[in-house]
Amino acid sequence: MEKQFEEFKQQLEDSGNVRERLRIIVADLDSVTRVMQADLLQVHYSSRSPEILKKAKSHIGKLKELYGQLAEVIKGTPGQYYRYHDHWRNQTNTVVFLIVYLNWLETGNLLSYAETQDTLGLNPDEFGLDIEDYLIGLCNVSSELPRYVVNQVTIGDYDCPKRVSKFLSDLYAAFRILNLRNDFLRKRFDGMKYDLKKVEEVLYDVKIRKLDSSGSAIETKQEAS
Amino acid sequence: MCTTKMLARSARRLSPMAAKRPLTQLGVPNKRPATSANCSTTTMVAENPFKEEFEKYRDHLNEMNDKRERLVKASRDVTQNSKKVIFQVHRIGKHNQQTVLNQAEKDIEGVTTQHVSRITKELQGSDNDSWKLRRAYSPGMQEYVEAATVLEFCKTGTLLTLADLNNRLTKLSDPSTRPFKINLSDYLLGIGDLTGELMRLAISRVADGEVEVANTICNFVRDLYKDLSLVAPIMDDNYEMNKKMETMLQSLVKIENACYAVRVRGSEYITDAQGEQYRYTLALDEEG
Repeated sequence: MEKQFEEFKQQLEDSGNVRERLRIIVADLDSVTRVMQADLLQVHYSSRSPEILKKAKSHIGKLKELYGQLAEVIKGTPGQYYRYHDHWRNQTNTVVFLIVYLNWLETGNLLSYAETQDTLGLNPDEFGLDIEDYLIGLCNVSSELPRYVVNQVTIGDYDCPKRVSKFLSDLYAAFRILNLRNDFLRKRFDGMKYDLKKVEEVLYDVKIRKLDSSGSAIETKQEAS
Repeated sequence: MCTTKMLARSARRLSPMAAKRPLTQLGVPNKRPATSANCSTTTMVAENPFKEEFEKYRDHLNEMNDKRERLVKASRDVTQNSKKVIFQVHRIGKHNQQTVLNQAEKDIEGVTTQHVSRITKELQGSDNDSWKLRRAYSPGMQEYVEAATVLEFCKTGTLLTLADLNNRLTKLSDPSTRPFKINLSDYLLGIGDLTGELMRLAISRVADGEVEVANTICNFVRDLYKDLSLVAPIMDDNYEMNKKMETMLQSLVKIENACYAVRVRGSEYITDAQGEQYRYTLALDEEG
């Protein structure tokens, strides 16, 4: 009986060491994402300048490196990705948000799950991206957009609401394809409609005053209804 | 290329067969060509540009959720039937030991082959899923560990080890895959509950006049508590275990009090004509 518990103690101490190593890496991950997020905040105060995006993008290399370190640790305990998942879960949601948002600012496209995984240099066989983490990241992008739209219009980009509204309603419709459980992701998704509503209100304000380039009153009616 | 694809799509939509097909098969995820973007600009009704990707995500999520649901169901059945095994073990008395234990043995074999096997079938070969979906099947496994260990204790007076328990389960997994193994946390949490059962057993045996059994159980539980107290604080999720450790200590104290009662008032207890009444109050005292 005692021998068995000696072994357990050893096993649990080993796992404690793994956690310790993960914590150190994740703390670094935290600080990189904070800096990146601070850099990206500037898109709210200025029109989309490539310099801001370039600066934010410069951190991706560091992110890759840190995920590489996480992968290295998990490689030592094969099959136990989900045992330690909670360590990097929140940070990964933020990282997905940053990468997808950045890409959207640059190209107007939605970065797919596989593309996001590639951007982070993750190998799904060793250390992949959890699909729910990716989807939560997308919800974070959604909740950032109302503020972005408001500020862009304030700066004078009146065509921005239309673009964002199209993107967000497509995203919302796409999420409705999923069968979600009653969990955190579901809760985040439920918030998405308020983001969409807010963006549509801005769009309405701009259109009704014919501030946007198309200036078509008929279309305005449709959008508002 | 654009038009053929569109035709295929609309044909699928019109076909009466399509309506009957389950949702998951409708959106066959195929490659996402760069032209699809051009496609949507030329069609009258704009297709959702993210649809194909999200259909992949949906299929993945559905698969995982179905699996989780099956595990939850199996886990509930394991819990329910393991509890029956524990009740069976409690029917043990002075003269029926062998028959009671044989029946319990048969019962737990039934739980293993009928219900635990459903869990091992879902999880064999995938440590990732075993960890990811642990919350779905953990309650059942804990109860199963409890039933298996309490039975083993009644039979041999020893603790059934995790390795032995896992060996029993190996036969349920496909030999070509990595066999499902009981999670260390589930084993320890199951052992945490074992003490409560042993306490009940000790009290009822004392009440039945088998005082030496209480001493055996008392020593066993003391050892177990000591061993677990070294491991519990460093467990993965130790909140639940710490709660169990408190309960465990309470159970241990109850057993010790029973042993004390037997020691101090033992002589009266066995010979006295009032013994009947005394035994009754003793059992009530300790169990309540």
